[in-house]
Amino acid sequence: MLLSGKNAVVTGCLRGIGRKTLEKFAKQGANVWACAQHADEEFEKFCADLAQDTGTWVKPVYFDLTDFDAIKAGLKAIFADKQAVDVLVNVAGFTKDSIFHMTSMEQLKLIFEVNYFSQILISQYVTKLMVRQKCGSVINIASISGLDGSHGQLAYSSSKAALIGATRTMSRELAKQGVRVNAIAPGVIDTNMNSLVPEKVIAGHIKAMSIKRMGSSNEVANTILFLASDLSNYMTGQIIRVDGGIK
Amino acid sequence: MESELMESKLKTIFAESLDIDQSIVTDNLRYAEIPQWDSVAHMALMAYIEVGFDIMIDTEDVIDMSSFEKAKQIVTKYLD
Repeated sequence: MLLSGKNAVVTGCLRGIGRKTLEKFAKQGANVWACAQHADEEFEKFCADLAQDTGTWVKPVYFDLTDFDAIKAGLKAIFADKQAVDVLVNVAGFTKDSIFHMTSMEQLKLIFEVNYFSQILISQYVTKLMVRQKCGSVINIASISGLDGSHGQLAYSSSKAALIGATRTMSRELAKQGVRVNAIAPGVIDTNMNSLVPEKVIAGHIKAMSIKRMGSSNEVANTILFLASDLSNYMTGQIIRVDGGIK
Repeated sequence: MESELMESKLKTIFAESLDIDQSIVTDNLRYAEIPQWDSVAHMALMAYIEVGFDIMIDTEDVIDMSSFEKAKQIVTKYLD
């Protein structure tokens, strides 16, 4: 198993890429603090069943990414377990699309709060622990819109571009202390987030791909697993596109 | 924790973490004024303090911990 004996913090575990990552990590032997926005009965049961099936522990931790005090409280609860944290995956994200001239400052600030500031806050706390351990892997889930731009996604694409910049800077600063930092830039993935995008727009994206279909959460989680594992020990500061070859 | 005990423990942590003699660790010891206390050493020092006192230091306090004197005030705040 690729993550045997490792402990991971994964955000955004309620659904989509986060949920699939949580499942994959546990099946590969990792113990996981499964972070989600709010308590949910189905999610609690999923975590309990997953732990039992895989012989790991999976602990739900709840905080809203717009509430920095709640984030700190959640992280303090994680640290109170007195376990090493080997992997951090910042999956949680949010979008509210609008074109450049129709994007309010409030909307921009809200999306940056969730997609950028909160990710930095979480990373600051968790990597302090990793620095102490002299090892760790941080994986930020960015987006191809952060690399290429995307019509109608000013706030989302710029927040993801900021996260990509942070990934590269963090990788340079933390490498000496044994901490690797990479990002994944998913393309069009079959998740709830894309269910709001008009079919016509999705069809246009698919037409521009080499692999002419939407990706799955599982395919993104496979790349996350690779970056979390020792298979990628010599990689840091990389932004990996998982996008079916969008041209 | 008694303040004298805390200060003594903090002094030991500073000396060990920064690899300096304890006699140098006074209230006047300031960040970046000796080569041993640079930005990388600062993060290692934070880790030593967190482990030593079993606390989690907020980023604002990591930035604010600019001297040994300041460190005493900040650690005291977490221990209260």
